[in-house]
Amino acid sequence: MSHISRRDFLKFSAGLAAALGLAPALSPRVAEALEELAAGQIPVLWLQGQSCSGCSISFLNAEHPSPAEVLTGYISLLFHQTLSTATGRTAVDIVEKSIEKGGYYLVVEGAMPVGMPQACLMGHHPVTDQVARAAAKARAVVALGTCAASGGIPAAENNPTGAVGVPEFLRQKGIPKPVISLPGCPAHPDWLVGTLVHIIKFGLPPLDALGRPLAYYGRLIHDQCPRFADYERENFAEKFGDEGCLFKLGCLGPITMADCTRRYWNRGANTCINAGAPCIGCASPEFARSADLPFYRKGEKPGAKEA
Amino acid sequence: MRTTVEIDPITRIEGHLAVRLEVDSGKVAQAFSSGEMFRGFEVILRGRSPMDAQQITQRICGVCPISHGLASLGAQEEAYGISLPPNGILARNLILGTNYIQSHLVHFYQLSALDFVDITAVLQYKGSDPVLNNLKSWVKSQLDSTAIFPAAPFLPRYEGRYIEDPEINIGAIRHYLEALEMRALAQEALAVYGGKAPHATALVPGGITERITAANVAKVASIVARLQAFIETAYLPDIMAVAEAFPDYAEIGKGCGNFLAYGVFPEIDGSRLLPGGRVEQGRMMDFDPDKISEDTASSKLSSPSGLHPYKGETVPDPDKPGAYSWLKAPRYDGKPQEVGPLARILVAYLNGDTEVKGLVDGALEALSLPLTALDSVLGRHAARALECKIVADRCAYWVGQLKAGEPACTDFELPASGRGAGLTEAPRGALGHWLEIEDYKIANYQCVVPTTWNCSPRDAQGQPGPVETALEGTPVADPKNPIEAARVVRSFDPCLACAVH
Repeated sequence: MSHISRRDFLKFSAGLAAALGLAPALSPRVAEALEELAAGQIPVLWLQGQSCSGCSISFLNAEHPSPAEVLTGYISLLFHQTLSTATGRTAVDIVEKSIEKGGYYLVVEGAMPVGMPQACLMGHHPVTDQVARAAAKARAVVALGTCAASGGIPAAENNPTGAVGVPEFLRQKGIPKPVISLPGCPAHPDWLVGTLVHIIKFGLPPLDALGRPLAYYGRLIHDQCPRFADYERENFAEKFGDEGCLFKLGCLGPITMADCTRRYWNRGANTCINAGAPCIGCASPEFARSADLPFYRKGEKPGAKEA
Repeated sequence: MRTTVEIDPITRIEGHLAVRLEVDSGKVAQAFSSGEMFRGFEVILRGRSPMDAQQITQRICGVCPISHGLASLGAQEEAYGISLPPNGILARNLILGTNYIQSHLVHFYQLSALDFVDITAVLQYKGSDPVLNNLKSWVKSQLDSTAIFPAAPFLPRYEGRYIEDPEINIGAIRHYLEALEMRALAQEALAVYGGKAPHATALVPGGITERITAANVAKVASIVARLQAFIETAYLPDIMAVAEAFPDYAEIGKGCGNFLAYGVFPEIDGSRLLPGGRVEQGRMMDFDPDKISEDTASSKLSSPSGLHPYKGETVPDPDKPGAYSWLKAPRYDGKPQEVGPLARILVAYLNGDTEVKGLVDGALEALSLPLTALDSVLGRHAARALECKIVADRCAYWVGQLKAGEPACTDFELPASGRGAGLTEAPRGALGHWLEIEDYKIANYQCVVPTTWNCSPRDAQGQPGPVETALEGTPVADPKNPIEAARVVRSFDPCLACAVH
């Protein structure tokens, strides 16, 4: 799979989103797998691969419903590395017994080191094996965050552990399981909670070709940008802290599908572009992927700017 | 009788950690700490734009991304030769300070408290608080159900002694729920100047991209006041209640006795709220960053041992014979060092900081404990809580110093080559990033991270890391339920994603 460079990026036009394979499409396999669910607590098994726990921390930033309400009213969280009271052997037993029983939704946070399975172990065993077994017995898999959705930073250029995202991992392992991808570094808590609630109350959320819920990933950040008028008027920020469109500082809003510019982060406190920070494309499959697509244009070598 | 006890995985910490204990006559004789996850950030950073580093390295850890961002920016700003305007310094302190608060609250309530507090005590609740009554009826219905793991993720747990006083338990359970709200509120304040949390995008070389306005100053001030109130009325009293219920933990978990802090929270006048320094067996010592090196004898890395971070290498070797951890073993002048809130508080105390001295002496007096008792499980929890108060109080001061309409960022030119070291403190301890730039690209990047110090494996001299040393002598009453050892490990607030990176 080839990746885009800043040079490619600058050639993009507004019509490019479709060329990137972002056209809406439902995955019928997901629909089949999501059996009729009565409203109530669904069992969730949460496993961490090569992660930073940032998506777990982000989940704890959920507002309405709060994390405590989610844990006691919506999901039955069988295991979570950071929240479970159970530790050691008991923790391994819980994971194994859950897999034996099956029927849960599997949330995976973090990438899968397929090129070096020893790079992520739990109870002496590679987490890749655990995730493969757990996915096979799950109703569906939620790939939470960009690492799980497409490899993220562990899979960035130089990728020393052969890290991949969960959908690619399951393809390689021949495990035909529906995957809902919730990229973002981290994933917004609303994206996770909203998806879980949608499953419980209404069944499958509509997904795009990459398995992302259209409700959150259906439009480009650029198209929903609070500084879009500055872009139209060619009023560009030239240095950090300036007013104006952040395109010339490197903003990757034009290639990133997500709704953060409308949803805002941390209970509406702020969002990157509103804070003057160029979008770094953290919800994009291209996030951090290539050294040729740096986050900031200021980092470009002199002479590269006309590219 | 000698038995091997494994805690694999240690949950309620960040990331993948396993501990093996050799238990002899009911006490830990030897301990081995294994970091079980590797991503290779230092390899991934090579060849990239140096400005990418403060965003990429934030992703080392979702709990303390700000510290990595600031360490990276410190290294870059040294290399670029730029300094910050006062608003930039203050706003960054608020971004970092609110993340300290969220991290410390999560560490005590969500990660550690369930080792001391009896969560099942909520079943005895007889009051009218709807939040507690909801939790009570949920736990009860779970225990009466056929659920495979009723009341997960809060049960099952290690069998052992928990707090018996129902009032203390129920108060702490209420605070567990409130702490979830408070830590989210702290993240909200962080996002005001950081853009979002975790992984703040508004951090850039020269300052922050967000502007200072009267409205955002008022918002942060309001949130900080609520956090201060929670720390005073819940966190500090709960720590004292745990200390009173578990006095034996003032003697359990004594570490290596060497403490290192780089110092953190720069003030406008160039001083730091919490100063840097080194304490060796109770005495203040000099600190020279050139004496830091990383040993790889027990690490699953083929990189040479004993290199200074500027020359450091990271080459994975997962099957290396004799290696039992992905962590390197950082050493100062060849010796292991404990880092973290306890190290910072001890350095400030021995530096004669009157506020720190007053708080520490007051807590020790209330518990009738000597200063040496700080080097323990309880000492680490107490130091973290006192630091949380100090940081929150100072946040209230910093927000009052911000000047609306004045710049929070300095512009700069990127040099073709250069190098810099960013030394700061994460909530978990001393954090350093070392950066070398050639031809506008990162030629080398090395991170020496708090949990790398604390959870490090044995070095070529056979010296155990601080957590391994702290575990030695820990009682293990029941090898099937080694809760005492888990309490020792958690007192360090390990972060394994950080440690290995």
